[in-house]
Amino acid sequence: MKGYMGKILFVNLTTGDIEERLIPDHIYEMLLSGVGLGAYVLYNEIPAGADPLGPENVLGIVSGLLTGTGSFMTGRWMVVCKSPLTGGWGDANCGGTLAPAIKQCGYDGIFFTGISEKPVYLLVNNKGPQLKDASHVWGKDATESEEILISENTAKKKPAAAVIGTAGEKVSLIAGICNDGGRLAARSGVGAVMGSKRLKGIVLVGSKPIKCHDPQAVKLISQAYANKIRKLNLPGIVKGSLLPVGGKVMGSMKHVAPIDGMMFATLMKKWGTPLSNGMAVTNGDTPIKNWAGSSKDYNRSYYSRINSDLVIKREYRKYHCYSCIVGCGGVCDISDIGQGRFTHTHKPEYETCAVFGPLLMNRNLESIFYINELLNRGGMDSISAGSAIAFAMECYEKGLLTLEDTGGLDLNWGNAEAVIKLVEMMIAREGLGDLLADGVKIAAQKLGSGSDKYAIHAGGQEPGMHDSRFDPMMGVHYSVDPTPGRHTIGAAQYYNMTRLWEKVSWAPPVKIYPKNEEYEATDREALKSVAGSCYKQIVDGIGGCLFAQIMGVQHWQAFEWLNAATGWNKTPDEYMLIGKRMQTLRQLFNVKHGVEPKSFKMHPRMAGEPPLKEGPLKGRQVPIEAMMKLHWKHFGWDENTGAPLPETIQQLELDQLLQEG
Amino acid sequence: MGMAKGEVIIDYQICMGCGICINACPFSCLDLTRYGNDAYKRLFPELEPDHGCTGCGICSKACPLECMTAIKKDKDEKKDAVSS
Repeated sequence: MKGYMGKILFVNLTTGDIEERLIPDHIYEMLLSGVGLGAYVLYNEIPAGADPLGPENVLGIVSGLLTGTGSFMTGRWMVVCKSPLTGGWGDANCGGTLAPAIKQCGYDGIFFTGISEKPVYLLVNNKGPQLKDASHVWGKDATESEEILISENTAKKKPAAAVIGTAGEKVSLIAGICNDGGRLAARSGVGAVMGSKRLKGIVLVGSKPIKCHDPQAVKLISQAYANKIRKLNLPGIVKGSLLPVGGKVMGSMKHVAPIDGMMFATLMKKWGTPLSNGMAVTNGDTPIKNWAGSSKDYNRSYYSRINSDLVIKREYRKYHCYSCIVGCGGVCDISDIGQGRFTHTHKPEYETCAVFGPLLMNRNLESIFYINELLNRGGMDSISAGSAIAFAMECYEKGLLTLEDTGGLDLNWGNAEAVIKLVEMMIAREGLGDLLADGVKIAAQKLGSGSDKYAIHAGGQEPGMHDSRFDPMMGVHYSVDPTPGRHTIGAAQYYNMTRLWEKVSWAPPVKIYPKNEEYEATDREALKSVAGSCYKQIVDGIGGCLFAQIMGVQHWQAFEWLNAATGWNKTPDEYMLIGKRMQTLRQLFNVKHGVEPKSFKMHPRMAGEPPLKEGPLKGRQVPIEAMMKLHWKHFGWDENTGAPLPETIQQLELDQLLQEG
Repeated sequence: MGMAKGEVIIDYQICMGCGICINACPFSCLDLTRYGNDAYKRLFPELEPDHGCTGCGICSKACPLECMTAIKKDKDEKKDAVSS
């Protein structure tokens, strides 16, 4: 085998049958592993129109092709399923320690179908795979459940585990799957699918070797990369309070220049993702007040209270995901918050800080730490949860929700105490929390009275905390990706740092350009968004980290690692064709399930309709429909419907591949 | 160190705390518990207090930075370890 294990495990939770299936080499060569392998299995296994919460849906937990080969920052595990949030393709991914454990058990992925009669978990150890009773952990939070299951199954080697929390058990459509004490594969409602199957978790203990074609060549690439990362340390005098100043300058610039991604890595090493807490407010990247406000509302007196330095002040140790040499994660002391209910929490990510900070006009950082731990233990996606509360706050402001509806909670903007209570109600599905626990689209449908005006989503999924009026290409990906509303697919900022044009012949090169170009629907911008999208599929096929990706192809050498690990000797252009095939297959999944790609167009407010009246994004509008059409056209998909064209399917050899399945 | 049959020496000037060795060890002998060698509060791998290292070398083979040396203890060394 060459980097991959060549096998998947298939578990039928209705019958209890467990079988190993061999995957032919050419599937990996056409679709890699990870999300590509997941798309192949799910496209073939899930019948058209299947209920995402029914027995026919398939939930896959997969690792990446480069995971465990000796490459760096390729240790993410991914979950794939039909999403109950969007009705189409669903995936989510997470770092931590689970990904290599999947391969060490001998598999590239573990897939579940059916519904168990009672709560179970899957244990894979040297006795093989077996389903075990999970009734003793059903009802417990994710962190406690994980600790119990690991402790029960530790023999020589400590297992790796992934579990759902109570949000997943209660089939909240914004629930995720947790590992490593509350880190989530959060998006697409993957935790709801796991909960609907009464699958509490998976516990993996394996020591099978992960072989690759040329381990020494892999190591040489890793060593060169490590030598660059090792040198990246900021001098102590660089304070987090300077970052918003940089953001302000960036937000006022009329031109854009691609920066070296290593600069970003330097900041990540010190602060992790909360480096953006103030900077992204002042440059316009952070959506404010349910996407209707600006940094004039969430001004210095607000953003200075969630400053990056204040976040890491509580950090008492940093940590790395498996195979990561940057280490943006951290553990923070919160024993003085909430009467000491929790001793510590993972450092809240920027997304969590932004969605429970500026989006809600909240400047109480302590509340964000506390909410972070509530959601990590409950197993609920912070982006969707915070967005649902922003929706509720705006409905409350506009009189569509009353004190009676909220159960006496005063949902005025910035009321941190009420937000904490509402998060607890959402996880427990109590009162108003029950309405919000399935995301904003369903909440607006149930509430009616024109509340959909305040339900900010794309195709049913709440968007990440990066404003599409600041980076229109982000908006394109929010609207065209088969799993919409995701901030991790592509953006102009990502493209500029990834520097694909250095290795991919058709990726448009970037030098200094006027910022206004990003707001025009042009073939050049579309080609950039297509290139970003194809490359992200490769990253999700190898288990790669987005933050490694945006360090740039000249530093994080995914193409070179792939050749060393597999022996395929492909060119970057050939790998990009694989990325295009993976993305087209994900889109075909949606077409098969009757999802109209047009329906994923992001909420008008996200495109500047109506335009903001003040702040760095004042007057900014995004011609999103024209941009979506051009993106589809350059992908070889119908520019009016978004469905992949027959000739594209043929060129990508997907017709043959899907016939085999 | 009790009856451990082996040990691992790590060059912390080179190690970057990626954790690949920890995952590779079939007996969970290593953990990220050592502070130092870094401008930040980062943790690096070291043998756990009651480890059962056999000196098998799987961790050092897996290490991309080749900064680990696995040593099998001879019988006399093990006797010393027990008596001390």
